[in-house]
Amino acid sequence: MNRRRRERELDEEIAAHLAMAVADRVARGQNPKEAEAAARRELGNEAIVKETTRAQWGRGSFERLAQDVRYGLRLLRRSPGFAAVAIVTLALGVGANTAILSVVDAILLRPLPYADPSRLVVLLHDGRNPVAPANYLDWKQRSRSFESMGAAENWSANLTGGGTPEKVPALLLTPEILPMLGVRPALGRFFLPSEGVAGQDHVVLLGDGLWRRRFGADPNVVGTSVQLNGQPYAVIGVMPPGFLFAPFWTADSEMWAPLDLQARAASREGSSLRIFGRLRKDVSLSAARAEIAAITAVLERDFPGTNRRVTVTPLHEKVVGNVRPALLVLLGAVGLVLLIACANVANMLLARSSARQREIALRAALGAGRGRTIRQLLTESLVLAALGGVAGAAFGAWSLKALVALAPASIPRLTDVHLDGRVLLATFAASLATGIVFGLAPALQASSVHLQDALKEGGAAGAGREGGRVRRVFVAAEVAIALVLLVGAGLMTRTFLALQAIDPGFDPRGVITFEVSVAGTRQAEPGRRSVLYRQILERIAALPGVRSAGAINHIPIAGDVWGFPYRIEGRPRPGPGESPVAAYRAVMPGYFASMRLPILRGRDVSAMDVAGAPGVVLVSDYLARHSWPGEDPIGKRISLDGTDDDPKWVTVIGVVKDTVRHEWNDPPEDEFYLSVLQRPGLVASSQSQAAYLTFVARADGDPAALAPSLRAAVWKLDPTLPISQVLTMDQIVASANARARFQMLLLAAFAVAAALLAAVGIYGVMSYAVAKRTREIGLRMALGANPGDVLRLVVGQGMAVALAGAGVGIAAALPLARLMSSVLYGVRPTDPATYAGVALLLLAIALLASYLPARRAAHIDPGKALRAE
Amino acid sequence: MVDQKPYQNPIELLQGTLDLLVLQTLTWGPQHGYGIAHVIRAGSRDALQVDTGSLYPALHRLEREGAVASEWKTSENKQRVKVYRLTPQGRRKLTQERSRWDRLMEAMSGVLDAAKEPEEA
Repeated sequence: MNRRRRERELDEEIAAHLAMAVADRVARGQNPKEAEAAARRELGNEAIVKETTRAQWGRGSFERLAQDVRYGLRLLRRSPGFAAVAIVTLALGVGANTAILSVVDAILLRPLPYADPSRLVVLLHDGRNPVAPANYLDWKQRSRSFESMGAAENWSANLTGGGTPEKVPALLLTPEILPMLGVRPALGRFFLPSEGVAGQDHVVLLGDGLWRRRFGADPNVVGTSVQLNGQPYAVIGVMPPGFLFAPFWTADSEMWAPLDLQARAASREGSSLRIFGRLRKDVSLSAARAEIAAITAVLERDFPGTNRRVTVTPLHEKVVGNVRPALLVLLGAVGLVLLIACANVANMLLARSSARQREIALRAALGAGRGRTIRQLLTESLVLAALGGVAGAAFGAWSLKALVALAPASIPRLTDVHLDGRVLLATFAASLATGIVFGLAPALQASSVHLQDALKEGGAAGAGREGGRVRRVFVAAEVAIALVLLVGAGLMTRTFLALQAIDPGFDPRGVITFEVSVAGTRQAEPGRRSVLYRQILERIAALPGVRSAGAINHIPIAGDVWGFPYRIEGRPRPGPGESPVAAYRAVMPGYFASMRLPILRGRDVSAMDVAGAPGVVLVSDYLARHSWPGEDPIGKRISLDGTDDDPKWVTVIGVVKDTVRHEWNDPPEDEFYLSVLQRPGLVASSQSQAAYLTFVARADGDPAALAPSLRAAVWKLDPTLPISQVLTMDQIVASANARARFQMLLLAAFAVAAALLAAVGIYGVMSYAVAKRTREIGLRMALGANPGDVLRLVVGQGMAVALAGAGVGIAAALPLARLMSSVLYGVRPTDPATYAGVALLLLAIALLASYLPARRAAHIDPGKALRAE
Repeated sequence: MVDQKPYQNPIELLQGTLDLLVLQTLTWGPQHGYGIAHVIRAGSRDALQVDTGSLYPALHRLEREGAVASEWKTSENKQRVKVYRLTPQGRRKLTQERSRWDRLMEAMSGVLDAAKEPEEA
């Protein structure tokens, strides 16, 4: 019952008493005025009556809590240094955990934004490689495990009309896919089954971002027509905000158009499809896997080499699979930081409660019960934890923003990341739990103090040996945890350095690249492309500040990689699906020189290697060495197209140094380089999407400064040409290593925080020990110990704790580091140099942290120390 | 409850007595504060004047201890009054207090009666 209501009821109760007394007197014949006066006299002092009555209520638990909280806050205000350090420590731990946990929750734990996403699966070769149309159609027709199955293919289209031409990343989808995801369009409708057919397929769905950016969020856009690759497409709908479907392509798709497979229905070679399926409710993943395995085994027998190693992977796993280990490592690291923070705060609380033994004893002597004392101390640590939690929430919100801003764009679902209420609640609860658990220990310890001892000895002895030991154990644990984190950060740094040391084959410094797309423009016709490409190259090479220029179909790292089967002259003809596959590159003269990618033997393509001239090709060193071991590859011939009986041979004119392909640390593989001028359509089968080329220019100075003049040069030739991906090669290389750098930075930040906290812990314990032993040290010095001895004594004690912690830390780090081997590169998880370096660093920090209090101890004046207390 | 202050009001010495009287009064049925005071005074033929400043603290303390419970009712003359009644716990307390009182009376009269004897002897 609340206090105010009780007050009101008491007033009413007394008023009723008075009223009845007056009424009785009036009934006995007294006149009302006299009756009232007499009744009041009889009642006595109303205020005192109420006051003594109220005194019987006892104080409500809420009021007692409020009182404790006020008292706790007052105490914290009285020692602002202690409060600040404790709150900042907790805020660090809680904040970092909030941020990382939010990321982990958004990326790993929260289901994908589709209906019943757990039943969505992806069918690929080897878990990553795309599928040929005929295989997909066979799987779809023969399987029974799926409610629905559909295919998606990467696409991009030049959007022209209304503003600058833009290359928009997009996907082609069979009509099954969108309904399978269980989403609805925000406006309009999805594809009709009849629209998955050539001739009917010029319809498009817009993404929310594109709709707002290019169409001003105009709802009337549905039903109108837009120009894509120079063709009219009817807009049939707009997807809702937050809809994402480009599950594992690097660029977020912003448009979706129907995928027509009819023309390619019999093809088992051109693999470009990603297959999605929704499992039937009564079918388990393993049953579906078994069924697909059985179907593909039959297909593999009928069409050898086409149905090998087909995997059925849950979509969620496919989307987040490659960041899971890294995120779990970070989660573990940040959890350890929280542990250290808790240990530090617990330590400070312990030290403080020891220092306050006298006060506690006094309270006990004045009649405060043990429970009351415990509650008081607990309230104090909870107030501290709550303040730390609030500060941590603020810090977490801030650092989450920083985290998302710094994170490499290749991390999936990054746009889903936001500060989550549940996460905030959980970390706040963790902070409060810290307050309870680590506030309780000192409270119990303090409340069991012998009154007389504590009062007599003025708090010095009362701290007890036990408290000192507990604190040293805490500090040793902090050192151990900090060491584990430093080992992680050290290994990640070594990984990053090893990645930096990889020779990409070319020199990225001073190079700028941009992509020009001719799809849908008047330049799309292959004959005209050669002319255009040549003109662009001439114009940009002539720009001031450009040393040389060239072009390639797919720039390493940022560009696509097409595998293409080839055949070597004079070797037995490979069976179907058994041809060796090499990366398909096509270059304009000057590419190798501009990238400083050395031609090891032979020559570059030249302006003479045009359509009609004898076919030429350069091959990668790796391909040359294993295809013609010990032989000179120059003059050898390979075939990329033509028929089996009439292969079109091209002659090897050069060998190029191996270069990185897509992943920065991919091993070298087979690559060949054709002449763009000889094949302006790029691929003989003339895929219309291949109507783009990436130009590279080596600058004299800052390459980024060239961007405007490069654009102007291209648009002078044709203002309708979309230019995209204007990036320096340094940026491209940095993006390839962005994830490793990100992990390294985060782990390093955690490790530095951990080492600092551990240093604070050591410093705190040693300072406290020195302060407590002032008298003893003074006595030693009076008996002849010199300052050096005292210094050694104190530092030795601090280092003993640090060494014990470091030993435990190394023992713990060895198995833990092994867990992160999947994110390491070029360094073993047991790398002795890292361990030794980290241990030395930590011991140096510990030395410094115990030297400062030791110096103070060495300067103690024995006379004063002995007189003190 | 540990911070409960010592009972400080002037009638402290009579606390046990007043409790006993209040509990006894309530055995005859629920009653409000004024009614209890009235019954005690009438029952003692005005010998015992119950001080309001002792009665209400006692009632509130007995209520907190669980010996009595209260509820708000409207009296015959439309007065809203807080009516107290005895709880089972209150009944037990009454029995205890009563026997303590009886023992005290017995002991006191024993002493007082014995004190007379030497005079007679």
